[in-house]
Parts: sequence; C-alpha cells; structure tokens
Amino acid sequence: MNSFDEFSRPEEYVSPGIKHFRMVLRNLIEKEVMPLRRRFDEDWDEHKLIEPLFDRIMGNKGLGTQKSLFPEEVGGWGLGHSDHLGGFAYAMAEEVGRADTGFAVAFLVTLWPLLTILVEPHVNWRLAREFAPMFCNSDKAVFAAMCMTEPQGGADIENLELLKGKTIRTTARLEGNEWVINGHKLWPTNTGGVADLMAVPCTTKPGSDNPDDYALIFVPADTKGVTQGRPYEKAGMAADKNSDIWFEDVRVPSWYRAHGPGTDAKVFMKFIIPLGNVGSMGMLVGAMLNLYERLYEFVSTRTYNNRPLKENDAIAGLIGKIAGDIDVCRVIGHEASMIIDRRNKPYGKPLDSPEVIGKTRNMKKFIADTAVEDFGLAMDVLGVYGVDRDWDIEKHWRDIKMIQLWMGGKQLCQMEATRYFYNCKTL
Amino acid sequence: MNKKPDDVFIYPKTWINEDARGFVATVEDWARKEIISKRLEYHKEYKRLFAEKRKKLLFDIGLDKIILPEKYGGFGWNTPGRAPDMFSVFLEIGKADATIGFMAAIKSACLAIIAMEPGIDESLLDELVPKYFSEEPKNVAVILPGPGILNVETPLFMGRSIMASVKSTKAGNTVVGKDLRPTGGGADADLFCVVCADKAKKPCIAFVPSDAKGLKKGKPIKETGLNACTNADVSFEEVKVPKPYLVKRDNAVQEIYAWLNLLFGGISLGAAINFYEILYDWADTRTIKGGGRLKENPLCASVLADVAEEISSARLLGLGLAHIMAQSGDKGGVGSPSVYTFAQMIGSSMQKGALAALNHGMELMGSAGYAKEWHVEKHWRDIKTIQAYLAGVGSDIPVKMDIARFFYDLKEV
Ligand SMILES: Cc1cc2nc3c(=O)[nH]c(=O)nc-3n(C[C@H](O)[C@H](O)[C@H](O)COP(=O)(O)OP(=O)(O)OC[C@H]3O[C@@H](n4cnc5c(N)ncnc54)[C@H](O)[C@@H]3O)c2cc1C
Repeated sequence: MNSFDEFSRPEEYVSPGIKHFRMVLRNLIEKEVMPLRRRFDEDWDEHKLIEPLFDRIMGNKGLGTQKSLFPEEVGGWGLGHSDHLGGFAYAMAEEVGRADTGFAVAFLVTLWPLLTILVEPHVNWRLAREFAPMFCNSDKAVFAAMCMTEPQGGADIENLELLKGKTIRTTARLEGNEWVINGHKLWPTNTGGVADLMAVPCTTKPGSDNPDDYALIFVPADTKGVTQGRPYEKAGMAADKNSDIWFEDVRVPSWYRAHGPGTDAKVFMKFIIPLGNVGSMGMLVGAMLNLYERLYEFVSTRTYNNRPLKENDAIAGLIGKIAGDIDVCRVIGHEASMIIDRRNKPYGKPLDSPEVIGKTRNMKKFIADTAVEDFGLAMDVLGVYGVDRDWDIEKHWRDIKMIQLWMGGKQLCQMEATRYFYNCKTL
Repeated sequence: MNKKPDDVFIYPKTWINEDARGFVATVEDWARKEIISKRLEYHKEYKRLFAEKRKKLLFDIGLDKIILPEKYGGFGWNTPGRAPDMFSVFLEIGKADATIGFMAAIKSACLAIIAMEPGIDESLLDELVPKYFSEEPKNVAVILPGPGILNVETPLFMGRSIMASVKSTKAGNTVVGKDLRPTGGGADADLFCVVCADKAKKPCIAFVPSDAKGLKKGKPIKETGLNACTNADVSFEEVKVPKPYLVKRDNAVQEIYAWLNLLFGGISLGAAINFYEILYDWADTRTIKGGGRLKENPLCASVLADVAEEISSARLLGLGLAHIMAQSGDKGGVGSPSVYTFAQMIGSSMQKGALAALNHGMELMGSAGYAKEWHVEKHWRDIKTIQAYLAGVGSDIPVKMDIARFFYDLKEV
C-alpha cells in the first residue's frame, strides 16, 4: 500500500467535486495545520496559534468554508442545495480530523446549526439573507455554536424521539415580536467567547413533550443578556473551546426561530443528529488514517527481536487488525454520508426517520468504540514512545475519546439503534 | 459515597501483614487529607502543587526508605515477604496521584535488586544511600530494554533490545548509549538505573548518577499523563561509573520487572478505585431519561458492574502476585522464570483491567469525565501512560512471548 488514501471507500460515492475539494483542503491542512498541531494543547485558552489557522480554512482570504451552506444567491457555495451534502460534510471532517479532531469539530460545528435553516427543503430565506453577510463577507473565521446541553444533562435533550424536549429547561417566551430567552447551557463547541451566532434549543412550555413546544432559536452572541464563561480545561480537543452560557432575558426578533412549531423539532432530528453522526465518523476516520501513517513509520523503523516490528507475526496481527478496522470504518463512514445524500432519492429514507437515526447512531458508536480501542492499542505498540506528543497518536487518543462521549454518549447511541432494530417502545 | 472502598473491594485481610496495616492506613490518610479532599484546586501544575505533599509522604511518613534495610534507616520491609504490603501502600498512593506513586515505585523497584534479601549489596548501598536518600527528594529513572532501531543489531533481553552497553575494566565501568528513552521521569532523575549489555551481550544493570561526566539529557518530552514528573531522553557518552555501580547478578533485570509490575499495578488500581468513588457519586445523583437515577438504568448498571468487576478482579490478581513474590524463595526468587512470568502476565492484566474500568466508566459521565475539574481524565491519562510504559514496545506481545516461552517451553521466539 502506498498511501493512507488507499483505505477503501466506495469510489462511486465520491463525486469529482468532492475529490477536488479534498485535495485543496488536504494541501492546506498538511502545510499549515499539521506542522503546528503538537502545540495546540498549550494554546487551549488563548488560541493565539489556532485562531489564524481557522481564518485560513473558514474565512474569505482562505478557503471560505464557513459560507459553504449558504445559497449562491446570498454569496454562499450552495451546499445546502447539493445532492452531495453528506459527502462534503464527511470529506471535510475526515480531512481536517486527520490533523486534529478538535480543530475539525470547531470548524464543522459552525456549519451544524446552519443546516437547520439552509438545507432544502427547509431553507429559511429570511434568516439566510440576514446571516449571510456575517459568514460570507468575512476574511476572518466566524463561528456558530449549537447549544443543546444543559447542566442537568445533554443526552435527554438529544433523545428527542423518546423525550420530545420535555427535559429542556431553557425557556423561550414570545413577547410582541420578540423571543425572550432564559436558561443555562454548557459545553457547546465554540463557546468560551468564540461563537458569533448560537442556535439554542428552548421550550416554550417547560415540561411539555409536545414537539410543537420545542423551539430552535438563533441568538447572536453579542445580544444583551448572553454571558459566556471561561473555557473549561479538558483532557484534549484544545482547538475547541467550551464553556457555560447564561441567557438572561435575552431578546431576539421573533423570526430568529428556525421555522416554527413542529418543524423545529423536525429539522433538529433531520440534520443535527444524522449529520452530527456523519461528522463525528469523518473526524474519527480521519484521525485513524493519521494513526496508520504514524504507526506505519514506527513499526517499519523500530524492532523487536532485531526485526522490524511489522515483520513479527504476532505484532503484525495487532497492527493488521488496526489497519483492517480503519479499512472497514472508512467504508462505513462513506455509507453513512450516502444515507444523507440518498434522502431525496426514491430509495432514500427521511433523515428524521427512526431508521436513519438508529443506523447512523449505531455506525458512529461502532467507529468510536473501534477508534478508542485501536488508538489505545497503537500507543502500547509504541510503548515508551506511545505517550510522546511527537508521535501524534497520544493526542488523537485524548481527543477522540470525546467523540465517543458527545452527542448524548455511547449509551444513547446504543438505545436509539436498538429502538429501531427491535421496535422498542420505552428505551 | 459514604462507604470505604475497602469494604466493597473485599479481599482476605490476612493477605496483608498485620504490622503493615497501620502504615497503609497512614498513607491512605495522607492521600485523603492532602490531595483527594482538595481535588478541585488541582487542575494543572501538578509538579509544583504536589511537591510539598510528596515530601510529606517521602520523609514525614517515610515512604522514601520503604525498601531499605533497617541498618540504612529503612523500616525493614526489604524482604519479598513484604510484597503484599508494598502493593497495598502503592495502591493508596495511586488513589491520590499516580505520579507520586510512580516515582517512588521506580526508586523502590530499582533499589530492590540491591536492598532486598537475599541479594543485599552493601557496598553499593553504602554508596547510594547517603546520596540518594537525603532530606530532599532524589529521583531515579529506569531505562529498560525496549524498541530497537532498524538495521541496528542489539543484544536482547527476551526479544527486547538493550540499547545501552557497558565495558568493565579493573578501574571501573564505562556506559555508552544514545538517545535512550527512560520509563518516565528522565528529566527529573538524579540517578539512572540502566539495563545495559556487557561484553558477552548479557544484560546487567548500571547505576549512573545524572551529574556524571558525559551524561546528557535531551529536551523535556510532552507526555500523555504522569505530569507531575517530566521525561527526557538521555545519552551516555563514555560515562564512567565506579565499579560497585554495576550489578551483574543473574535475574536482576527480571527482578526489576517483577517489582515494577507489582507496584505499577497497585498505583493504577488505586487510581481506578478513586475513580470508582467519583463514579459512584455521579451515578447516584445524575438523572437520565427524564428523571430516573442513572445507576438504576439497567444498561448503565451493567456498565457500572463492569467497572467494579474489572477493579475487583485486578486487585485480587495483584494481591495474588504479591503473595507469589512473597513466597518466591522456593521458586528461585523474584527474578526466577516462573515469578517473572507471572509478574509480567498479571502486571499486564492489572493495567488492562484498570484502564478498562476508566474507559467504560467514563462512558457514563458525558463531558464531566473529560473535564479536568472532575479529576477523572487525569486518572485515565495516568493509567494509560503507565500501561504504555510497561508495555515497552509491541503492546503486550513481548509479554505474551514471555508467557508462551514459560508455559510451552518455546525455543525460538
Ligand atoms: C469537546 C466537546 C464538544 C461538545 N460540543 C457540544 C455541542 O456542540 N453542543 C452541545 O450541546 N453539547 C456539546 N458537548 C456536550 C456533550 O454533547 C454532552 O456532554 C453529551 O451529550 C452528554 O451529556 P452530559 O454530559 O450532560 O451527560 P448526561 O446527559 O447526563 O448523560 C450521562 C450518561 O448517561 C447515559 N445515558 C444518557 N441517556 C441514556 C439513555 N437513554 N439510556 C441509557 N443511558 C443513557 C450515557 O452513558 C451518558 O453518557 C460537547 C462536549 C465536549 C467535551
């Protein structure tokens, strides 16, 4: 095998546009992000090193990816209208995740909440026009955040199919032509002062399990009453800042609600969960591709019994398993992206269907569990060098653990998958 | 949690010598008072923040000299019969901070080969004790056999490359080695315990003071965990060490491995037990599915059970190993093939068990387990670091080869 890119992917799934885009992105990532990534951990608070790199990927003077979802009419790339949305999302996550999954999540989460208002057939043109200048006309990186998790728990808020928003404590009250928001969120990617725009799942009637009472409301970060805390210190994912956010009588125009009763819950289920899973898978597989690259170097140049590690039959069994897992996971990741891109085909499934939610949750769980295991194993193959930042694997190991834990955690993935596969009613 | 972990992770109490229980309790008390109860203050800068606490443990409580004969100021635990007591002490330290335990474990394991009965080496103890057991903490780093480099044929210790060599003359010994990676703590080390190959390519052990001429430390290495100490590569450019500093006794390297496996196992299990306590409180108070207690959810309960099972079995295994070491006299000592093999096998199992407990338990804690504030992620990183260090190279394959060699009389691997 000559390159990590030879790990399997169904070639017919990958459009020429995606192939080209991947190469451009890869080039930039390899030249600019990879050489600095080993210093990200120390830059977790200030982002002095990290911030200019985001400008290169997201802002207009760089690749301009932050405008990708916006319709061409308002200055974007029109990805929201594309049949290759899933493929692009997966490709971006894989390419950037190869360098650093914390960097990937910060960049991709900017697009995440925007999916709910920019993807056909749910384009909210008024909001698209209103938010377009912010993202499409900036040389600097502009970030968004998807603020779901609350102090009492994030999993229940994502478990919309079962709990239907009943545990959300952040409230939205309509007063004249303004929403008044009160509540406390924590952990969203791109908080801690990073995000310019936040999407906030709220309830219009606390304790209600009527999806009509679920409101997804956009809040510019500089709105009066929004307070963001200091970023938390974490095990990894240094390129992503996370903090508390308090909403105290925060007033935004009534049209900042994504769509309206019923549809807000629907777009959350359609885009936030399945595409969140696809993005997570892309990041994991990207990191695994880099694991292969670094492991390849180590097992080819270091020895056991005076023979290259890779030529020892028993060690070969281990590293063969790792490569085999990467091969399989990459196929699964691409299949997940196609589940998204088949949505409008006669044989496609609605993205908010239990099938899509259950299957993508399961796929994400499978890849996350496999990645956690393989990175741990690879660190032990490197032994005394496995914990050394310069070999990159340990950093990925710290970072990717969180991908297993976020979006409601492993158990929610298991339950949503089982719910679909066995037609369970109470899980 | 209002129970003592020892009341749930039960083990036969007689497995620990009665006269050692007081000391174990003192160390437990230190762990709780000095570190566990003040956890929230400790997010980073462990090295600075734990310096005084470490000193208290090493000197006020006396851990530093745990391995030394009474004649040298130790408390007479320098027999393999104390292995269960040592395991229990290091487990208590691991609950508080793995690095403090780790550094003490390395010092004890390396010194064990000259301080433990029946292999007491007074000429070397006379040299080392005054210099390295003083009022200020003195650290030892160990350089074990590990990965070799492509196209460089090296002497081997059971398949692992010995990257340092020693030449002995009547005047003394000369140690040579380039960019060697210690098993942690290289930057902080005052004394290196180096597995070298002699002229006959046989493994032996050289003690090399860090201020010896020709010893060069590389730049500090950023590592996953154990951040209260710092590692660095080290090179020996024709470093001269006095004659007694070379230990050529058979099986001395095996002995170091045996002690490291036992004590590192204790530390990782201590960290895992402290994690259990944190997880207990989390599962007791966190609610999911709209109000049910997390621990009462059968899926979560089964994961909680896995955590308890991993820790319980690993602790019993560790104590089992300690007793095998304690009674190793009739088997040829701690470095004999059977005891060495069991130490490697059980040591590797204990690390896997402790890490599995953390990995699975963290799955129930969402972001909390990932935030420095909860101290869980620190235990997770520390245990992983110990596991990777102990593996040395090739994951558990070298250990598996040791096991297969012993159980099946292999001749070639
Ligand atoms: C780097 C990073 C980025 C993040 N990004 C975001 C973001 O962009 N937006 C955001 O809103 N949050 C974000 N989070 C938060 C994260 O998504 C949540 O922590 C996660 O969803 C779990 O929520 P929780 O921590 O509140 O745990 P809880 O909701 O309390 O869940 C704890 C555990 O309970 C179990 N559990 C939950 N539900 C069930 C069930 N139905 N059945 C069985 N077991 C169950 C699971 O084991 C779960 O891990 C991020 C966190 C980090 C560290």
